[in-house]
Amino acid sequence: MTVSSFAVERDLARRALDTARTRGATYADVRFVRRDEENALVKNGRLESADRADSFGFGVRAIADGAWGFAASQVVTADEADRVAALAVEIAKASALTKQRDAELAPLEAKTATYSTPVQIDPFAMTVDDRLGLLVAAESKLRERKGLRTTRAAYAIWREDKLFLSTEGADIQQRLSEVGGGIAAEAVGDGELQIRTYPDGLRYQNSGGWEVLTRWDLVGNAPRVADEALALLRAKQCPQDIRTNVILAGNQLSLQCHESCGHPIELDRALGSVAAFAGTSFLTTDKLGSFRYGSEQVNIRIDSTSPGGLGTFGFDDEGVPASEGWAVKAGVFVGYLMSRETAAALGTRSNGTMRADGWQRVPIIRMTNVSVMPGSAGTLDDLIADTDDGILMDTNRSWSIDDKRFNFQFGTEIGWEIKKGKRGDMVRNPTYTGITPEFWGSCDAVCSESEWVMWGTPNCGKGQPGQGAHTGHGAAPARFRDVKVGVIK
Amino acid sequence: MSGLLFGESELRDVAQRALKATQGDQAEAIVIGRTNSLTRYANAAIHQNVTSREAEVRVRVVVGKRYASATTNRLDEEGLRRAAAAASDLARRAPEDPTFGGLPAPRPIPPAPSAYIERTAEATPLDRARAVKLLCDAARAAKLVAAGFVATNVQEVAVASTTGTWAYSPQTHAEVQIAAIGDDGSAFAHRVAPDFSVLDVEGAGHEAVTKAVRAQHPRDAEPGTYEVVLEPYAVRDMVGFLGGHFTGLAVEEGRSFVGGKLGEQVTGPITLVDDPFDPQGIPRAFDFEGQPSDRVTLLERGIARAIVYDSGTAHRAGVKNTGHALPPNPFMPAAAMHARVEAGDASHEQLVAGVKKGLLVTRFHYTRWVHQLRTIVTGMTRDGTFAIENGEVTYPIKNLRFTQSYHEAWSGVRAIGKDLRLLVAAEQFGLTASCQRVPALHLAAFTFTGATRY
Repeated sequence: MTVSSFAVERDLARRALDTARTRGATYADVRFVRRDEENALVKNGRLESADRADSFGFGVRAIADGAWGFAASQVVTADEADRVAALAVEIAKASALTKQRDAELAPLEAKTATYSTPVQIDPFAMTVDDRLGLLVAAESKLRERKGLRTTRAAYAIWREDKLFLSTEGADIQQRLSEVGGGIAAEAVGDGELQIRTYPDGLRYQNSGGWEVLTRWDLVGNAPRVADEALALLRAKQCPQDIRTNVILAGNQLSLQCHESCGHPIELDRALGSVAAFAGTSFLTTDKLGSFRYGSEQVNIRIDSTSPGGLGTFGFDDEGVPASEGWAVKAGVFVGYLMSRETAAALGTRSNGTMRADGWQRVPIIRMTNVSVMPGSAGTLDDLIADTDDGILMDTNRSWSIDDKRFNFQFGTEIGWEIKKGKRGDMVRNPTYTGITPEFWGSCDAVCSESEWVMWGTPNCGKGQPGQGAHTGHGAAPARFRDVKVGVIK
Repeated sequence: MSGLLFGESELRDVAQRALKATQGDQAEAIVIGRTNSLTRYANAAIHQNVTSREAEVRVRVVVGKRYASATTNRLDEEGLRRAAAAASDLARRAPEDPTFGGLPAPRPIPPAPSAYIERTAEATPLDRARAVKLLCDAARAAKLVAAGFVATNVQEVAVASTTGTWAYSPQTHAEVQIAAIGDDGSAFAHRVAPDFSVLDVEGAGHEAVTKAVRAQHPRDAEPGTYEVVLEPYAVRDMVGFLGGHFTGLAVEEGRSFVGGKLGEQVTGPITLVDDPFDPQGIPRAFDFEGQPSDRVTLLERGIARAIVYDSGTAHRAGVKNTGHALPPNPFMPAAAMHARVEAGDASHEQLVAGVKKGLLVTRFHYTRWVHQLRTIVTGMTRDGTFAIENGEVTYPIKNLRFTQSYHEAWSGVRAIGKDLRLLVAAEQFGLTASCQRVPALHLAAFTFTGATRY
């Protein structure tokens, strides 16, 4: 593992922990984080953006007088380690002014360990020309089709080195690596703006190296993507205000899972901790283990060990090991995403989902990989052949859900009518809406493992101050019966 | 100004060292320093309480018609040298942009009112905790629980370039949000002020608590088209979505509803301006390219008058740069960062009194485009939705989903509130870039397409 040695930082972390203890902390942890990333976008034949970024600093989290404090700084010196640790304790003591009960952490065996994302082709070791070359080739292929208003190709490469030490004795070092990107074609005319992307907006991302992007053949798919964007301008409007069967492509099902399962199983939500901003959850703790969330076809796993997932790591930012378990099993809600503190409230142990967006943010509960497991419906073609009437919807374009994660409305880039087991006419502006447990309750088929892909959301917003998280969602196409479709008059 | 992380002279030094390390025909450095403190509470107790001190330099290098950028938070010689080298190297290897017009030449920046208040910069964790306690106690007295945050923020922005640009501005803002939550209903309030000592914490608590008491036990309401009174929190959402259409890039990409319609009536008689000098906002007289920001009237009583530009979109459109650049990014290079809907003459009571049968909406939640060109947005109501009958708020209703063209909704504006509320948008590009001042609105028709069960 070619990870930063963090030798100096480890000494500073120990010093900060000592200072926190001396100032009155009953628990403290320190994270040093070094992040490197590069984003590039080729648009309409020109390099619209190429940006390299690095960020390095540390954060100290402390419990004092039974309450939490957190402070962070990018000045990596002994004096600053002392100042930040003391400030974290001072903040914790101020927090105690409104304390209802002492903060309590679920038990954890402190580990000394390392972890690194498996990487075949290190994108940071490639030449800039090689990285940009892929974008130029794919974007120019889009432009071979005349009539498009905007064409784009983008990549993102991302790497984070982290060191975690705690007063309980943890000493964990990790290197996480991710790559993502895609292509997009936009066509404008007759009061319509239509877009097609591949493989999933410009936001497809996985953990791993450059191989993550090259497996999708952006250049080879560019002509089809361009043709579909142009065809959408002429396509008929998706039927409005009807109820019909809907087949969601895997990339759309992954976002459906993210919004309507991943968020409501966050235990901080369910306990009301983010009520003013993100909201709460219809999956209250009294429902755990008994509530029928979906049909028996619906199996959703929480798994931070899944290969390629954006929520795949060795340890979360509380030092809890990666784990796997069920959120929904045979349609029944059985598991939350937890921190050590929220797990203690349920009398259990954390399943390791606390993550922070860099050194300057405090860890909060985030989705790891929350995936809809494959079923037995065969391929997408098999599922279409098994569907008498309905609409196939592919690739998210619009998403909205209420603050209990109950009422949702989604739109996709493209749809196709399904008539008597065959894919029929293309439709534009497809949308569908529903109530979460009723919708998942109407799922009667999920495609088999051959169709299952680890998708991801590299821009999940949560928290105040705002934090972005990278979350993984494996999914295969699935069918839902009697869904309300069409909201645009 | 002891609460500052840097101060003008130190930021100038950082920017100049970064520029000096670049290799290209032109270069620009944006330096941003911030100290952000946020005390978050829920279930009537502080559960998250954080302070971070951050600074970063964004270096943009131009080589002929090629350009690229690099960002670092390492402000030492090695960090600046590496960022400058990375941007220079990327710029040399980048494909040419034949439309690029170079970095903008410096222009004089007019003075703007100060948005920096020392008292905000010096606020302590205990100051914020006391404000939270006040809110929690107010909610508890009404048998409610409170959730939200109290924050104090200090931000310095400086822009320098090899073309001679220098711009610097410090600012502070304090913010309080509260959701007062009962067993069967909730309400929300939000206040922003550059000065923590005048932040109306008590007023926010009173607004949320009194409304939450009335919000309990909501009734079902059928989806359909209703007259509405939208509180400023909901109006701000509309300003954010519609404001994005008044930009050079939106017009260039064919996704603006005002594209090709300047001079035409596109909404009802609403006036929307971008005013970087508004003394009751959070003023900043320049943009993130160091260009002076013009005061721009976007909508004048519903007639589309102007759009805003950064140097790149202005150059491609062949028009004057209005000085509205955001930090360099490909998806939203310019924006109205100090938007204000001009006040009307109606009190809140008069707005409600003008509705025969309709809804009072406190806040929108999770709003997203459904059809951008038609400005159709979907989202939910939240934290206080009420029926209005014969000019009076009568009872709370369960939350509704709307799917509505925002500019068409503005076409039916019937009355505009006389009080403007200062609000800030969520952070963009790692900083607080924009604020809005907006009134409540009475609109003739707003289409709700679904219901939830709470």
